[in-house]
Amino acid sequence: MKKGRILVGIVFLFFTMVLTVTPCMAAKEKVDPIVLGVALPMGHLGGWGCEKGMRLAVEEINAKGGVNVAGVRRPFKLEVLDTRDLEPGVPISEGLLAVEKLILDKRVDFLVGGPERSEGALAALDLISKFKKVHIQSGGCLSPAYTKKIAENYDKYKYCFRITGDVMELMGDMIKTLEIIRTQQKLDRVFIMVQDVAHARAAGDIVKSGLEKKGWSIVGHEKWPTGASDFSTGLFKAKEAKAQILFSWFDMPESSVMVKQWYDMKLPMLPIGYIDPSLDPNFWKASKGNCAYLVGSCYPKAGAIGTAALPWSGKFVTSYEKKYGIMPEGQWAATGYMGPYVLADAIERAKTVDSEAVIAALEKIDMAGVWGRTKFDPRSHQLISSDDPEQGAVACWAQWIDGKKLAVFPPKIASQQLTLPPWMK
Amino acid sequence: MNLFVYGVVNSITLVLIALGFTLVYGVSRLPNFAHGALYILTGFVTWTFLHKLGINYTAAVFLALIFTGLVGAAIYQLLLVRVRGMPDSEIMVSFAIGVAIMESLRWKGFVGSSFVLSPFIEGTVNLWNVPIDLQRIFIVVEGLVVVALLWLFTHQTKIGLALRAIAQDEHAAMMLGIDSDLMAVLALALGSSLAGVAAIAILPLSNITVDAGYNVLIYAIAVCIVGGLGSWVGVLIAAFVLGFGQILTAAYIAPHYQMVVTLFVIILTLIVRPSGFMGRQKEIEERV
Repeated sequence: MKKGRILVGIVFLFFTMVLTVTPCMAAKEKVDPIVLGVALPMGHLGGWGCEKGMRLAVEEINAKGGVNVAGVRRPFKLEVLDTRDLEPGVPISEGLLAVEKLILDKRVDFLVGGPERSEGALAALDLISKFKKVHIQSGGCLSPAYTKKIAENYDKYKYCFRITGDVMELMGDMIKTLEIIRTQQKLDRVFIMVQDVAHARAAGDIVKSGLEKKGWSIVGHEKWPTGASDFSTGLFKAKEAKAQILFSWFDMPESSVMVKQWYDMKLPMLPIGYIDPSLDPNFWKASKGNCAYLVGSCYPKAGAIGTAALPWSGKFVTSYEKKYGIMPEGQWAATGYMGPYVLADAIERAKTVDSEAVIAALEKIDMAGVWGRTKFDPRSHQLISSDDPEQGAVACWAQWIDGKKLAVFPPKIASQQLTLPPWMK
Repeated sequence: MNLFVYGVVNSITLVLIALGFTLVYGVSRLPNFAHGALYILTGFVTWTFLHKLGINYTAAVFLALIFTGLVGAAIYQLLLVRVRGMPDSEIMVSFAIGVAIMESLRWKGFVGSSFVLSPFIEGTVNLWNVPIDLQRIFIVVEGLVVVALLWLFTHQTKIGLALRAIAQDEHAAMMLGIDSDLMAVLALALGSSLAGVAAIAILPLSNITVDAGYNVLIYAIAVCIVGGLGSWVGVLIAAFVLGFGQILTAAYIAPHYQMVVTLFVIILTLIVRPSGFMGRQKEIEERV
């Protein structure tokens, strides 16, 4: 009888435990992910590179248990939609529809990524702010108007932050870089060749006026139509003008022809600036090494090229190569990678996913990044830039040497010194 | 001298681009607005044969040209034949096919800088002290050979003579037993393959991009309008006018006015001589 009572007691205890523990386990399994909406031009190197960076970051964060939201570990989940905003002829409304769908249909908690085209990102500001979603602009849009709009109407647009960069800062860095080259290599005659599109024309004009003020000789300034596939006349002019630097700013794939013609003609000048095909890790192979000595890989924020001065950049590049079998692609792989990390840091400190609290946490962020120090301007929500990774996020210019891209500017993060083509000596 | 050398290369490039378009229009009176799409399709197909299927370069090129020719024939047989004789519909249908081909390629991931064909001949030479890569010289040689072969084909072979007969007077040719539809299919296939021949020579200079298809179509139309739609001699003259016009514009005015000059020449032609330099048949029609 006594044994029977003990047995009943044990069974009762067992069922009590099972009934108590099971809901707890179920509750643990039922933790909702934090959904990140990603709107990017997926048919463009800058889009898929950024998305791959994000996917890697999300995997790493989730592998560590997810984001600690007031003691509850919640994983990140990505919802990706194609904005097509870098394809010719595609209206900006396509990108806005993607953002709207992410918010209303996919019910995302936060937004990261683009749209990448400045016009699209600027138009999306109103939409994102209307729904009070925190957005980290982590691909494209270098227009100064973006952060100016936020600063001028903070209460309305405070939901948006940008980690990609500002073209005015970037051009300032470009001029500083050219000044270093003048000091080190004694080169001061520049021929400017840019694409005939708004951002490239502006880049050419800013560099021209900036260098003229510093006493450089601008021996030519040309704008080339999109789709041009023969740059010989411009290159011959540069040669006749005895140019030593060929400053170039092109986002069209055909600009690889200019690089090839410069290499084939062995023109005694150093091409430097932004040449979009050079951001493709396959460019060396595709150009059969004709891009050697080109300083055309411009990263508004460093990290996509591993350097000893930025320890996290080395780890990022290694992880990216391990996962995708290729070097980080395009300009926005590193910024895409940092987007979820920046957000995770802010959410953990805010201890909630509430937009207002996360905004306050983002404004106070101070963490290391693949680019150096991460801090936002509290009014414009622009990632603070610097030449020194201890002070802020640095830009990076890389040079193709022996099939590898090596960081050569700014000096504080450079892997090695700039190498001039042998036919320039 | 560099202007002359690169002017000739640019002009022959335009000849190659426009030959297929003018052949199709000359024979079948069909404006093939899918011409640019067939151009880049050849490039991507060659690249796929080469890099995905591991076929050697020469075989990949021949297979790609045959493939493009078959696509051209299919476009006529399946779609254009239904709207033949309705000029507006012909333009809309062929343009729609072109857009569908190009955007499908983009959709299937043919974007980025990785799509490159190797030059047939590597290296650089100095022509009259002007450095020029051998692939550009290859383009000039290929252009001249293609024009010569096309002339022989249309003047010395039965099929070529039949094509010319259709071009001159379709009804009279049909009374002599020439099948108009068959000739149109052949013209489309040959024209498409010619677009492919141009692609194979020109694309190794750069990356293969979908957007190049749109540019090629614009240049082909420009050359044909200025030279006279359907006139091969006109194509040669117009290509040299536009080719040198572009190079001289880049050298003496500004490179970004190259397209403006091209469009200006088109407008001027349409005002002064709407049938183009050598568009004799159209000129007669206009007079009537």
